[in-house]
Amino acid sequence: MTSDDIRSARPTSLLGLVYAVVEFVVSLCMAVAGAMLVLLIVTMGWLVFGRYVLNDTPTWVEQLSLMLVVWISFLGAAAGIWRKGHLGVDFIRDAMPPVTQHVLRAIANLMVLGFAIAMAWQGYLLAGKTWTRQIPMLQISEGWRAVPMSLCGALVSIFVIVHLLEQVRELKGLPPRPVE
Amino acid sequence: MGLFLLFGLFFAGLIAGVPVAFALGFATVVVFLYEGLPLFVAFQRIVSGISVFSLLAIPFFIFAGELMLQGGIAVRLVRLASAAVGSIRGGLGVVNVASSMLFGGISGSAVADTSALGSILIPVMKEKGYDADYAVNVTVTSSIAGVVIPPSHNMILYAVAAGGVSVSSLFLAGIVPGIIMCLFLGVAAYLVAVRRGYPAEAFPGWSFLARSFVYAFPGLFTAVIIVGGVLSGIMTVTESGAFGAIYAIVVTALVYRELDWERFKTAVLTSVKTTSLVMILVATAMAFAYLLTLYRVPDMLANGITSISDNPLVILLLINIVLLVLGMVMDMAALILICTPIFLPLAREIGMDPVQFGIIIMMNLGLGLCTPPVGACLFVGCVVGGVRIDQAVRTIWPFYLAIIAALLLVTYIPSISMYLPNLTK
Repeated sequence: MTSDDIRSARPTSLLGLVYAVVEFVVSLCMAVAGAMLVLLIVTMGWLVFGRYVLNDTPTWVEQLSLMLVVWISFLGAAAGIWRKGHLGVDFIRDAMPPVTQHVLRAIANLMVLGFAIAMAWQGYLLAGKTWTRQIPMLQISEGWRAVPMSLCGALVSIFVIVHLLEQVRELKGLPPRPVE
Repeated sequence: MGLFLLFGLFFAGLIAGVPVAFALGFATVVVFLYEGLPLFVAFQRIVSGISVFSLLAIPFFIFAGELMLQGGIAVRLVRLASAAVGSIRGGLGVVNVASSMLFGGISGSAVADTSALGSILIPVMKEKGYDADYAVNVTVTSSIAGVVIPPSHNMILYAVAAGGVSVSSLFLAGIVPGIIMCLFLGVAAYLVAVRRGYPAEAFPGWSFLARSFVYAFPGLFTAVIIVGGVLSGIMTVTESGAFGAIYAIVVTALVYRELDWERFKTAVLTSVKTTSLVMILVATAMAFAYLLTLYRVPDMLANGITSISDNPLVILLLINIVLLVLGMVMDMAALILICTPIFLPLAREIGMDPVQFGIIIMMNLGLGLCTPPVGACLFVGCVVGGVRIDQAVRTIWPFYLAIIAALLLVTYIPSISMYLPNLTK
């Protein structure tokens, strides 16, 4: 194998690795969020059971549920960016000539990136600000509520950067995703 | 200038194809920076916007609906509807509407309604000689029952956006308008069927009807749990949602025995996806709404509309037209969250009850789910039915008319929606 071969082979395999990692992270997000949803349903069912059958309301359930739903929302939202599952208006962009479409897609990606960076940064600050405060009944820090927002922002930033790289590859006439 | 920037960036984002939630968030962040407002306020609202107890009902409703789709409840409802009204001329069209009404009473989402019933009924209708466009039109428009007839997760979004409207009042208020709308749609389905000469099904006999009811009953009982739990005041919306979801697991897994691990997993993951889409929209819409109030947008809009006319009838018509147009290009959940804080003050000013206004919003934006260019139900229906959107839309107008007629009745006759909630006061 010549050094040229290595150089031309490396980017695709590196890119392939990036895709494998991203896909794994996205699946992990969905799996964790899914487990949290099941936990949410079970604990809330326990609350109803406790209140009406045992006459003893488990008070921690409410706080736990609110925490879970924030995590589910932000993890799912991050995965939604990668899998392009979010609600949006695509028909205007799709009706445009290819060049305009490219420009609009780049703008859209940059706007999402802008918001995602703000989310990651502000989520981090918010978590820090509330870290010493405890959530009543749960004995964990209030800051955990802001952590998923920060995480979501960081993940979305990465996903969008990969989407932008796909666009660059398309401009070069390469297939947008590496063919393994 | 800040306001111009806010809407300018939001619409620019939409045109470029930014997801609605992120377009709202981006515009909000830029305007916060532009106005020199502390950015953490925006993000605090984003987190606290989701941490609301009544919003917890949304994942439960969504999950219960998914389970019904995966676990065989929908099929049994269709069989019941078919035994009951199939012998009418154009029977399957009417069956479709009746199924939507039943299914709308247990699922809270119109899109779930379209995909659950459409995938069962559209193939059968095509097989029996109904045109695909008709099958799709009936399925798509009648699925609006999913958002109007309780339970409805969109009603919870409205209650949150309106700032403390009672969910149980909204649930009660949706029942009669939902039934009226379905009756109108049934008439439209019948008339079109007669004109096209569609057949009627043979009446399967009373014993078959009774048996179909018995089979469908455990599924229908989900509605009794969710809606009954809320209306009786025994449970909160959130609790009854959770209880309904657990009950749906028990029915589909143990009674109907159609829920296996794979289907359960699909239901969980789809619910996570739908939940997170809605919740992230709630989150950023809350931050966006903070700026709307700061710039006094509701006041400006009220002044604008009242300068055209101060006649309440005309104002309501204008609001309806604006919502319809917005509903054509944007999704329901986003519009509820954005439009409620803008339009509700105006509706209140002309003496409308926020509960009635909520039902108007449900019906109006529900219709938006069935209209091109952006209509989630229309898209799903066309995919299931294998027709192009323009084919389906060419013959859909009798159904639009039926819904608009019902919408106008609900808009101008308060007692249609308010009779039941007022009874309980």
